[in-house]
Amino acid sequence: MIQFKETSLKKVAEIIARYPEGKQKSALLPVLHLAQVEFGGWLDVPVMDYVATLLKIEPIEVYEVASFYSMYNLKPVGKFLFEVCQTGPCMLNGSDNIIDYIKQKLNIGVGETTTDGMFTLKTVECLGACGYAPMMQFGKTYREHLTKEKVDAIIEECRAKAN
Amino acid sequence: MARKLLLEKAHVEGIRHYDVYRREGGYRSVEKALKMQPADIVEEVKKSGLRGRGGAGFPTGMKWSFLAKPDGIPRYLVCNADESEPGTFKDRYLMEFIPHILIEGMIVSSYALGSNSSYIYIRGEYDWITDILEAAITEAKQNGWLGKNIQGSGFDMELYVQRGAGAYICGEETALLESLEGKRGNPRIKPPFPAIKGLWGCPTVVNNVETLAAVVPIINEGGDEYAKIGVGRSTGTKLISACGNINKPGIYEIDMTISVEEFIYSDEYCGGIPNGKKIKACIPGGSSVPILPANLLLTTAKGEKRLMNYESLSDGGFATGSMMGSGGFIVLDEDQCVVRHTYSLARFYRHESCGQCSPCREGTGWMEKILLNIEKGKGKMSDIDLLWDIQSKIEGNTICPLGDAAAWPVAAAIRHFRDEFEWHVNNPEKCLTENFGLRHYADPIHVPTN
Repeated sequence: MIQFKETSLKKVAEIIARYPEGKQKSALLPVLHLAQVEFGGWLDVPVMDYVATLLKIEPIEVYEVASFYSMYNLKPVGKFLFEVCQTGPCMLNGSDNIIDYIKQKLNIGVGETTTDGMFTLKTVECLGACGYAPMMQFGKTYREHLTKEKVDAIIEECRAKAN
Repeated sequence: MARKLLLEKAHVEGIRHYDVYRREGGYRSVEKALKMQPADIVEEVKKSGLRGRGGAGFPTGMKWSFLAKPDGIPRYLVCNADESEPGTFKDRYLMEFIPHILIEGMIVSSYALGSNSSYIYIRGEYDWITDILEAAITEAKQNGWLGKNIQGSGFDMELYVQRGAGAYICGEETALLESLEGKRGNPRIKPPFPAIKGLWGCPTVVNNVETLAAVVPIINEGGDEYAKIGVGRSTGTKLISACGNINKPGIYEIDMTISVEEFIYSDEYCGGIPNGKKIKACIPGGSSVPILPANLLLTTAKGEKRLMNYESLSDGGFATGSMMGSGGFIVLDEDQCVVRHTYSLARFYRHESCGQCSPCREGTGWMEKILLNIEKGKGKMSDIDLLWDIQSKIEGNTICPLGDAAAWPVAAAIRHFRDEFEWHVNNPEKCLTENFGLRHYADPIHVPTN
């Protein structure tokens, strides 16, 4: 059965308390973020249904939101997610080369996951780090001024973490 | 050296934390404001001439004065921290390094507007900055600047941070409000404007991070003093985030009297173009505003030096000028391909269109595909006119300004760099290996007539 941990349920209650009575639907985006972290890095349909029950809204209200925003993964992703920015300013600073290098190095295409389930490569649009390009989102933070060497180091870092 | 108002203390060690921020004079504006009448604060902001720093440049004091105040209905202040215009990364800097200046500005503004619950809607990717803001809010609360009866004034206020989840469109204020209500980021039809019906149907003001931070020096020094900085209707200071092919990308606080040339070449700012290259083009205000070739960037069509302010950057209209926008300053050196860059932006807008209005939903996709074809050497001469036709049919025909924002970069690229597009069509085998390069420097302007 899908159920948030006690601490997450407390967090959900805290978030709902930020809004006026009856406006608990406003908690949907933050609660989906929590759910994605807690339930394996993506939002499966039963997870979305659970969120709907928690917030006393219809499942369709959750699906339509989860499918709108690019940060919600609607299919499984690897243990480590590389989200490389490819928009204008990053492109001017060689993001295409970084994306090609990651593809080669991990032997996957954009949107694909390595066969060992470790890495997923996604391209994303502008993340607001244009002065520190090329860059990618890696978990909670950004990795900036990317070079091939830095990409190698990040991949090593991930492998070390996984062991 | 230009005077700094927002970043004056940016390099003080530990300024992110309350004790240091307070020691450096933080929260004085709240002390002052709580002794004033809310209407007088609005008056000071009006006098300051402050214009919205998110991109539209609408006078903030006027926006505040539109806020409806019906009895018994709550009012809300929402901070737009959904910074996602390509080239723009200034709000991130403020929130990451000086979070208390935003909180301070929001307390003063909330008091002025009568908002007892205010929200910071931050883009979802700024996950770690959300933690920084929440830690700063906790510090402010522990020190009596938030919560019940702030500093004994009788004013109650709570401040919350809400993360988005990856959608450029949520930077549009009504889409932002939809998102804050837990819905898809589909912009609303205006009117009614948020000042009348905003968050949960209540009167709401939505302001950019930098705008709200600027309220702090305005209250500390007075609106008239603030208005003395800058020139004309470009008062105060502006944060510029500079990126692309420059030696020193980063955030610069400028008073709006310096020239574009000084901003690009002075060591105090961008420090020139790397490897001694020449500048080919620049998008001075975030990806949505028109790209300008070097000659029109440095001087206006009238031959005057172009300055880094609202009026001068837009001098000449879209035919020969651009816009201040969000202050996202993107520089392209002589080796960059305008077609490729425009394609990249078109892909961005296609990805970010919410899909509500058909001209934008369909048009952005068509433009992306045609531009990719031209870039790959598969374009036809008629494609250039087709692109012009599509962009002209998106502009002005959508609920929100994303349609215009998607149309303008394509229009400006064709307007100023048409021969570069034609070169791609005429030299299909060279498109992906050679750059059109320097030939464009100071070329004449082409304005399609149809």
